[in-house]
Amino acid sequence: MKDTYDKSLPFAASIRWIKKETRDTLSFALRIEDEHIRKAYAFAPGQFNMLSVPGVGEAPISISSGPSDDILLHTIRVAGDVTTALSRFEAGNVLGVRGPFGNGWPMERAEMKRLLIIAGGLGIAPLRPVLRYMLKNEKPNASPAEIPPLIYGARSPRNILFRDEFRSYAAVFDVHITVDKADPQEHWSGNIGLMPPLLDKISLSSKAPDTTAFICGPEVMMRCLIEELLARGLRGENIFLSMERNMNCGMGTCGHCMFAQKFVCKDGPVFRYQDIAALLAVKEL
Amino acid sequence: MKSRLKDFFEVLGPSYRIIGPKIENGVVILAEIKYGDIPAGYRDSQKPGRYRLSPEKDSQVFSFSSGPDSFKRFLNPPLAELFHFHRFETGLGITSPPFSEKGGISETGLPICFMGIRACDLWALKLYDRIFPGGRVRDRTYESLRRNSLIIAFNCLYPSGNCFCLSTGTGPEVKDTFDVAVTELKDSFLLEEGSARGKEILGLLPLGHAGERQSLEKRERIETCKALFRKSIAADELPEIIFRNLDHPHWEDIARRDLECGNCTQVCPTCFCNTSYDFVYPGGISGEDKCNLELSGRRLRKWDSCFSRDFAQVHGGNFRLSRKARYRHWMAHKLAYMQDQFGLPGCVGCGRCITWCPAGIDITRELEALRPHS
Ligand SMILES: Cc1cc2nc3c(=O)[nH]c(=O)nc-3n(C[C@H](O)[C@H](O)[C@H](O)COP(=O)(O)OP(=O)(O)OC[C@H]3O[C@@H](n4cnc5c(N)ncnc54)[C@H](O)[C@@H]3O)c2cc1C
Ligand code: SF4
Ligand code: SF4
Repeated sequence: MKDTYDKSLPFAASIRWIKKETRDTLSFALRIEDEHIRKAYAFAPGQFNMLSVPGVGEAPISISSGPSDDILLHTIRVAGDVTTALSRFEAGNVLGVRGPFGNGWPMERAEMKRLLIIAGGLGIAPLRPVLRYMLKNEKPNASPAEIPPLIYGARSPRNILFRDEFRSYAAVFDVHITVDKADPQEHWSGNIGLMPPLLDKISLSSKAPDTTAFICGPEVMMRCLIEELLARGLRGENIFLSMERNMNCGMGTCGHCMFAQKFVCKDGPVFRYQDIAALLAVKEL
Repeated sequence: MKSRLKDFFEVLGPSYRIIGPKIENGVVILAEIKYGDIPAGYRDSQKPGRYRLSPEKDSQVFSFSSGPDSFKRFLNPPLAELFHFHRFETGLGITSPPFSEKGGISETGLPICFMGIRACDLWALKLYDRIFPGGRVRDRTYESLRRNSLIIAFNCLYPSGNCFCLSTGTGPEVKDTFDVAVTELKDSFLLEEGSARGKEILGLLPLGHAGERQSLEKRERIETCKALFRKSIAADELPEIIFRNLDHPHWEDIARRDLECGNCTQVCPTCFCNTSYDFVYPGGISGEDKCNLELSGRRLRKWDSCFSRDFAQVHGGNFRLSRKARYRHWMAHKLAYMQDQFGLPGCVGCGRCITWCPAGIDITRELEALRPHS
């Protein structure tokens, strides 16, 4: 699709509302101010925007809303300059947006293949559009074998993002959540511990070679889970992961996000595991 | 006869900013020049970490080879303004710089004429035309500076001691991407058109007729030049040597010599990495120290280098923490990644990174050390 606006310049977006998700993470619902851009703006699940606080800088942030939602949602963890500045914004304030950038998840597979979705921590942000999409396009009378598993891991119960939404996801997904640890006063009765053991709770075996996995989370978590998935019979060509690197321009001209010959901003952030497995094996590329 | 080169300047002067070679601080740099600025008859001596310029007493005009500068400083300025912003509580104004439709820098509104660009740099230019695309995502700075630029290319007759374009297949002869190609002959210049615009320009010059004799002399001179090369790389074994040796112990050895000054990235005509940042006008701040204050400023883009320590830094860590990893990234980008990314060689064999490396690190020798049986 050809963009009819200039992606090298930020456009104004006003904040409709802000929701505090966890202690350090906020969701921002945005509305694109310019009518022409609002109409032309279209994204695919897994793409990201460069959010600009002019005077402070820019940061790449995944789009967390569903493709047909009427607001543009970003869920942001306060990390440094730009994200801190954003955390001080209020509803009604205006920020700059460039995008969407990146390739996104291979959504045709969400229709065709059995899907397995795995998110760790903030890694749920670029996967939420997939969840929203599938919720909207729910397959009626899906047989239990077709129900896609959704595995989510968070540091603690109070760090679970979009916590109130998981109940609705359970209508379409076989949901499994785990936390690293839980304080007694959090009244957590769910799983505690790392994510790999959850893979034993979903039945993969015979379907494994045909299962497509979408994974996003800290790189160490993804590496470890991918190993587990391969051991359980998933194929490298069916595993997709979303990578994070330093990004400055979002358009492949600044060089910051290079992961060997890949520009994470335009060749990714979603990569087929098989295509980058050899590169992931080398340290510090 | 050779002073007729001046005609070029007269014909092109009114419609172009002519960028060509000139001596500054004992070095041939590129700048906006007049005919008289050309360092006619100077010869450079280049070795790893060394550059010396001396007047040569022969009748050649272009006996010098490339200095540290290349077209990149003009098409991708070291500091460029991306846009101006004015931000207030409930609004955001973005104004892009006034790019000229004619091409070139807005103040003069004139497109650039590169006078004396060499074969290696033409390959780098071709690469730049792919890096900063005019397509889906536009780079407006590059696009407007490149627009209508005129290329007067020169065939090299004297490679510097660090040139190895013969082995990378990117020189010394210019093959395409030019409007006019110039070859210095014994008593005259041979001019060849490479585009419709080049033809038009040649039509404006009082030229004599060139025939078989001149073509033959050109060939002879280029062949003589080819015999003068002293450096080469195993280009036909690329990118495999790099990809197979990403864990080679030699990277550690280079890291011990590397000073991480980034000179190599600044002089390399294919290096393009940059960082943009916001510059707030002093006094542009009003209101309390809150984020919804009103301010205005500019987003600027400056050349950066993968040797910068925080280049691959993210919130949770640094993807290239070691010096070894940073050097490897640079060299692998040149010799392996770029070909994959843009379909063109990332090293054009100009030798600049060798000459301007204060540690005298020589990319051709480092590659050789990675090769099996060497
Ligand atoms: C494709 C992609 C999608 C992302 N999606 C989200 C999201 O949905 N929500 C979210 O909270 N975060 C997301 N991030 C991470 C987010 O971009 C960083 O946390 C953010 O850039 C930090 O910016 P800052 O100005 O607040 O920190 P800084 O003050 O910039 O400090 C962090 C340091 O890391 C550098 N940096 C540059 N790029 C990154 C990066 N990608 N990650 C971390 N540091 C970086 C900065 O230059 C600086 O050196 C995403 C990152 C990528 C690459
Ligand atoms: S890597 Fe060195 S020799 Fe190759 S193009 Fe760059 S500066 Fe020239
Ligand atoms: S290789 Fe040489 S020029 Fe490049 S950063 Fe190292 S010391 Fe500087």
